[in-house]
Amino acid sequence: MDPRKILEELDACLKKAMSQGLGKNGLVFPIDPAAVEDEQLRPFCHRLAAVFDMVNESYKYAEHLSRGDLKAKSSRNNIFAMPLKGLQASLAHLTWQARQVAEGDLNQQVHFLGEFSDSFNHMISSLREKKMIEQRLELITNVLGEGVFLVDSHGKIVFANPEAMRLIGYRFDEIEGALIHEILYKQQLNGTLYKPEENPLFNAITSGNDYNDEDGVFTCKSGFLMPISLVCRAVYKDNILDGAVIAFRDITVQKKHLQTLEAINELLEKQATTDALTGIFNRMKFNKSFTNEIQRAQRYNTPLSLIIFDIDHFKQVNDTYGHLAGDSVLKNLVRLVASNLREIDIFARWGGEEFVIQTPETSLDGAIKLAEKLRSKIENHDFTEPEKITTSFGVTSLKKGDNTISFINRADEALYRAKKGGRNQVVYMENRHD
Amino acid sequence: MHDSYDFKWEDLGDLSDGRPNLGAETSVIVYRLMQYTFKDVFSKKLGKQKTVELFVKAGTLAGQQFCRNVLDTSLPFSQFMAELKEKLISLKVGILRIEAADEEKLQFVLTVSEDLDCSGLPIFGESVCDYDEGFIAGILEEYTGKKFMAKEVDCWATGDRTCRFEVKPVEALDGPA
Repeated sequence: MDPRKILEELDACLKKAMSQGLGKNGLVFPIDPAAVEDEQLRPFCHRLAAVFDMVNESYKYAEHLSRGDLKAKSSRNNIFAMPLKGLQASLAHLTWQARQVAEGDLNQQVHFLGEFSDSFNHMISSLREKKMIEQRLELITNVLGEGVFLVDSHGKIVFANPEAMRLIGYRFDEIEGALIHEILYKQQLNGTLYKPEENPLFNAITSGNDYNDEDGVFTCKSGFLMPISLVCRAVYKDNILDGAVIAFRDITVQKKHLQTLEAINELLEKQATTDALTGIFNRMKFNKSFTNEIQRAQRYNTPLSLIIFDIDHFKQVNDTYGHLAGDSVLKNLVRLVASNLREIDIFARWGGEEFVIQTPETSLDGAIKLAEKLRSKIENHDFTEPEKITTSFGVTSLKKGDNTISFINRADEALYRAKKGGRNQVVYMENRHD
Repeated sequence: MHDSYDFKWEDLGDLSDGRPNLGAETSVIVYRLMQYTFKDVFSKKLGKQKTVELFVKAGTLAGQQFCRNVLDTSLPFSQFMAELKEKLISLKVGILRIEAADEEKLQFVLTVSEDLDCSGLPIFGESVCDYDEGFIAGILEEYTGKKFMAKEVDCWATGDRTCRFEVKPVEALDGPA
């Protein structure tokens, strides 16, 4: 076979390959090199046949690599496959790197792979940034003095921070996936269970509305109700409701403080309205109550009477027996009078040894009878030091057009007359303008 | 003259003082010229097998010293390897890549591209990175405290575009005790 014939055979083979591809059998060297008679051409044909083999092998090797088969092999002396081997090594390394990144190793970097390196390294720096934000968030939720839950749009618990776990007493695996309105926020302040459709937290979660509860309760693992203040805010993902974040705190201590505060306020109010020595109302409280009572009596046209009395010659008691004895007389007198009054009567110390009684639903006659009864009881009571005391009473009843001043002044005038009339007596004033 | 020499990192000298104009870097040609002329002379004097053994041993010493003086051995493995990779690039030694790593068994498949010792060499038909084998083993020995063996399974000089090393602790090669 002459060189021209060989070249023609080769050309035909290459022409076919270039128009139809290598096909299943690849490039088939058209001549048997061993059959070439020319000794100078024979080694040339052997080398060409070897090149054909290398091309075929490289083609198959590339095919394997293009399918992701990183175990593919090529002969070491295949010069056409060499750049592919570099690519194969890079892909094998990238496979390992991707696995490392998936497991959280963000130290990976890709070098000298052009735009791919830029993209990969950019992805890593984004992941590092995301991880840093996640770590910060984790730190914040871990040290936060408030419990935090993340629930899905049905109310299923998907996250809880350590403080939440500590407060409610559950481990996370015990409540993960549980419905928050069925396990924690299921009872009202008085202990009664919410009706499912009326549970405000559930309604907020499923509707995406904000919800605040300053005075709610969580049912802890122990079964105890923990007073809580709660904030629920919806979470959206791609503008679709994805659940809610619920932050809460234990307000047991605040509630106790509130109760203490209420007790203090109660005490202060009592102190402000009560006479310290005798324990009955003071003048200020009496006036307030008296005003209301006058208005009520005038509105409903019911009788209201007023009794003012004081101890006769009380100065002598203090001077003779001392102030302690005087105080004792006042306390005993109050006890004696109070035990003879009705629940609705208002009894107060007017000042010094002077006292007032307002008697609702009581006519002038009834008030006079009451005053006389009291005067008599006092006169006959043994006060020890001194044994006996007497009192003078002024009595009057509410008339049309009365105000507190005119009403009291009239009773005061009656008392004045009782004193002037010789003391130890009851004097009443008629409703002169009726 | 001493019968033997013990290498110390300080013996590399103060290059900023000693080479104020030429600096700390030289060419790959000069490095290879030294390495391959050593190989020539040693192999003729000691035989090829012994020469290879000595190159591996010298590489191991270099890897240990490099690790001790250049790298931070307190880093966790992934960070340590990332730092090693960066250092080898910045010192223009080669591009280290991991293809497989079993941190429990301490078995790795590593590749070094654009390797200082061999990339661009003619195809000799046999691997030539004996010094690299020792260097990699030395670094891992220093980091883990265990003896390692690195075997080059692919090399530029065998027709591959990257050098591939299989690295295992020596005990793994010996089999369980």
